[in-house]
Amino acid sequence: MIFTRRAFVQLSLGSAFATNAMRLLAQGVATHIAKPVPRPAPSGRPFHAHFVDVASAAGLGAPVVYGGVESKKYILEATGCGCAFLDYDNDGWMDIFLLSGTRLDGHPADATNRLYRNNRDGTFTDVTEKSGLQAVGWACGVCIGDYDNDGFDDIFCTYFGQNRLYHNNGDGTFTDVTKAAGLWNEQPRWGAGCAFLDYNRDGHLDLFVSNYVRFSIEHAPVPGANTNCNWKGIPVECGPRGLPTGRHSLFRNNGDGTFTEVSEQAGISKATQTYGMTVVAADFDEDGWPDIYVACDSTPSLLFMNNHDGTFREEGVLRGVALSDDGMEQAGMGVGIGDYNLDGHLDLFKTHFADDANGLYRNDGKGYFDDETRPSRVGVETRYVCWGAGINDLDNDGCPDVFMVTGNVYPEVEKKLPQYANKTPRAIFRNLGKGVFEELIEAAGPGVAAAHCSRGCAFGDFDNDGDVDVLIVNLNEPPSLLRNDVAGKANWLKVKLEGVKSNRSAIGARVLVHYSAGVQAQAVVSQASFYSCNDPRLHFGLGNSPTVEVEVFWPSGLHEKFRQVSANQLITLKEGVGRIPNRGWSKS
Amino acid sequence: MISCSPFLNELCCSRQRSMSALRKLVFSVALLFCVSSVLAQMSESPLESIRSALRAKDFDKAVELSRAALRDSPNDTQLWTLEGIALASKGDSKGALAAFTQALKFSPDNMAALEGAAQIEYQAGNRAAVPLLERLLRLNPENQVAHAMLAVLEYRQGNCAGAASHFEKAGELINSERDALHAYATCLVRGKKIEQAQQVFVRAVALNPEDPHERRVLASLQLMLHRPKDALDTLEPVIETRDPSADTLSLASTAYEDAGDTPKAVSALRQAILLDPRNVSLYLDFANIAFAHESFQVGIDVISEGLTLQPQAPQLYLARGVLYVQLAQYDKAEEDFETAQQLDPNESLGTAAQGLAALQANDLDHALAKVQSKLARKPNDPLLLYLQADVLAQKGAEPGTPEFQMAMRSARKAVLLQPSMAAARGVLAKLYMETGQYQQAADQCRKALESDPKDQTALYRLIQALRKTGNTAELPDLLKRLASLREQETKAERERYRYKLVEEDPVAKQPAEP
Repeated sequence: MIFTRRAFVQLSLGSAFATNAMRLLAQGVATHIAKPVPRPAPSGRPFHAHFVDVASAAGLGAPVVYGGVESKKYILEATGCGCAFLDYDNDGWMDIFLLSGTRLDGHPADATNRLYRNNRDGTFTDVTEKSGLQAVGWACGVCIGDYDNDGFDDIFCTYFGQNRLYHNNGDGTFTDVTKAAGLWNEQPRWGAGCAFLDYNRDGHLDLFVSNYVRFSIEHAPVPGANTNCNWKGIPVECGPRGLPTGRHSLFRNNGDGTFTEVSEQAGISKATQTYGMTVVAADFDEDGWPDIYVACDSTPSLLFMNNHDGTFREEGVLRGVALSDDGMEQAGMGVGIGDYNLDGHLDLFKTHFADDANGLYRNDGKGYFDDETRPSRVGVETRYVCWGAGINDLDNDGCPDVFMVTGNVYPEVEKKLPQYANKTPRAIFRNLGKGVFEELIEAAGPGVAAAHCSRGCAFGDFDNDGDVDVLIVNLNEPPSLLRNDVAGKANWLKVKLEGVKSNRSAIGARVLVHYSAGVQAQAVVSQASFYSCNDPRLHFGLGNSPTVEVEVFWPSGLHEKFRQVSANQLITLKEGVGRIPNRGWSKS
Repeated sequence: MISCSPFLNELCCSRQRSMSALRKLVFSVALLFCVSSVLAQMSESPLESIRSALRAKDFDKAVELSRAALRDSPNDTQLWTLEGIALASKGDSKGALAAFTQALKFSPDNMAALEGAAQIEYQAGNRAAVPLLERLLRLNPENQVAHAMLAVLEYRQGNCAGAASHFEKAGELINSERDALHAYATCLVRGKKIEQAQQVFVRAVALNPEDPHERRVLASLQLMLHRPKDALDTLEPVIETRDPSADTLSLASTAYEDAGDTPKAVSALRQAILLDPRNVSLYLDFANIAFAHESFQVGIDVISEGLTLQPQAPQLYLARGVLYVQLAQYDKAEEDFETAQQLDPNESLGTAAQGLAALQANDLDHALAKVQSKLARKPNDPLLLYLQADVLAQKGAEPGTPEFQMAMRSARKAVLLQPSMAAARGVLAKLYMETGQYQQAADQCRKALESDPKDQTALYRLIQALRKTGNTAELPDLLKRLASLREQETKAERERYRYKLVEEDPVAKQPAEP
């Protein structure tokens, strides 16, 4: 909480202000209050992306069960879960993996994680049971990667309770190998974000897991029980403030299908006072080694910089991505990663609580960030609790946009304070160029304007039509699948990487695409948005550029360039080999 | 602890009263010193007759003999000194001063003449005593009487730093003097030497252990030092009397709250309100506790009770408005701020609160209009200037625009008018950061930190500004300092949130512990 008793007394007694007056009137579980930047007049420029929710028609009708519907007793019911686009059967079409929670009073029959196979016709088939992925519990995050380099992507899920590693058997089935891989927690924990990364560059994917809070239903306070269990005077579920913080973990891949926890040796364990959520691992300072960014709720977010010797140093505050621009902690939930200003460096977008602005951080290429929230005008929006997000070029105009989903954590509040609705719309910040964005809701289609209580979302091209669609988790509702119908003739390029010396999934690779508008950087990551995993094929909108140059910085250190690459195609690049035939792609 | 300040203010304002008593004190001690030292010198003098007359307290005769001798020896320092003593003893200060001055003309370092002259000048309250006392101290730096006199004179002149130094050197001489101890403590408080002030006040309490006022002042100092348990020990004898005053109970409540014992804090405050139900500050104290524990409705109810007895108290409306804001009840808040403003139109805080409430409701234009309308009438109000700058900055004024320039001007003027306003410096630093003037931003952050060393915003911006200027040497220490501040705040918050105030009886609307 950022107001101070002293400030209150000073105001009440009529003494001089000595502290920031804004803090005085701040209140709530959100730890930082920001006023929305005034909205400028609409640009009037047409937006060529149009989103329609086709989930139902696509066969994604099962709800994502997660806690109480009308009210939440514990924070466990409120934070929700993520989802993933993955190609588990290597057919070149994005399949869908949706996590699920349960209920406090027992498991409903339909409460399970779900795997949907892409039928290549705009529909999906639920193959959960057949694949062996049926699981009940409080799932949270998912990250995808080929940890054993066998050519098939595996799945790691975090849970309140016991995390799970599912090995992809390559035949449409998965096996829970958590214990055998050495990832079983003796004491149940609240696993939150997770990311595969090759921190020691040995070609094997290691694993980072953020832990949210130390929590037990038996001992947790109930709504209204103490000061941390009220929001604007209304009793609500408690936390995370007031609850003990989680400890984050790094597991080194032994190269034999097992992992060893190295949190202490690597310096991860030093960061003890944070409520970790989404994890994004990428090479932010462009030194060839992956760093780790953890969005943290109500505490400073973390940026672990890789020391190249198996250890990390935490420098979030110094590098400008831990706190708001006025030095206050924020309720960090989700993270989008991309290059909004086309300078070839990986920027970050972090979502926050209602009454606060989401943060846009511009990377200078050395891993130092400037908070561009206000000048970029993404600060116009502070009404919603924001979760999953991405920096993606939604209209293929060559300027990456920002997409985010929203939803309250206190369903009971809207009865007393209608301005804090439980279900709220999605929002797009379309990139106008020159570092400035314009918020679009209705103008981006009914799929964006529809109100839901959403959490994770994943970005990918499920229908292989050359744009970016969005899969969204809605709590206690079926998911949304926003099909993007891009109008116009803007060009695009998709890049799929396959590691050889590097890990097979090429997680950690950084790709630069040079085109007329500038140089756009993207990275292959195994988690982003909120607890979710995006399509591993990197999508670049190119505007009117017919050809581009592609640079790949492989995790192994290899740097390759590909010139005169034509637009409007998927290219698959194999490390040290060059272009190889794509898997799938054709709709036929 | 801000709520302790009334006691300390009283301490500061008692300066004039202290002065006359102090003057008497030092004078009586000094006179004895002066006479004894001269008589000791005279014991070897041929002027035994004058000495005998003085010893016999026959001052007329001593004057007569001195004057006769001076006719023969007009340059005799000792004769002039003796005459001065005799005249002073007769009550002829003017003549005595003239005699001492003559003596000093021939012998500037004559201790007895210096002491006599200084004493008379001091007694008359003349600054002319200062050079005499300083000369005395050059000759004898250990002279506690001279230090005490100089301390008083410096204190009277408002030179607290000089006074404190001399009070310290006066040592135990002032131990028996309440007013001197108060003056000393006052200077130490002004010099932000709270620890030393507290030690001095322990001496004052030792003089009058039964005096509740003395104990309250000491407890206030102990609260300023964040030693609530010491404050409670100090207050214990007066709390346990049959009829502790509302002031004592209010202070005890603050101490209990600071010690983390919210139930006792609430209980003491309730008792205080029952004793003095028209005391506005007690309701504000209660609102403060309710605010800290996010028990906003309870705070509102108690303030509403206070307003039935003190319906013209703008502070109560202001405080209740702030509490309504916490509950997102902006209409009620606005109404209370408006009432506060009407009751005290000269006070800018009502307007400030209105502006803040509008900010909270995300109505930046309304907030700015409120502030600017008041600013038109009070263009040099630093608080309003700061708010104008802050609202403009929050409206996203971009560098180079007239709005940005206005924000910059307002922030600069606010800082000029009230250099200790850390919040205004914070806005100014932010504006400098936005224009890439990182060195200036760093300077403002440093000054803000001088006013409020716990200002995390200033510290964070200082880190970012220094990083931008490439001046990284300080960064490791600053990062550690920020982490430490955050840790302290988390700990304090944890303590505060242990309790939530609830109303046990909806009819009586009295607060109680859960």
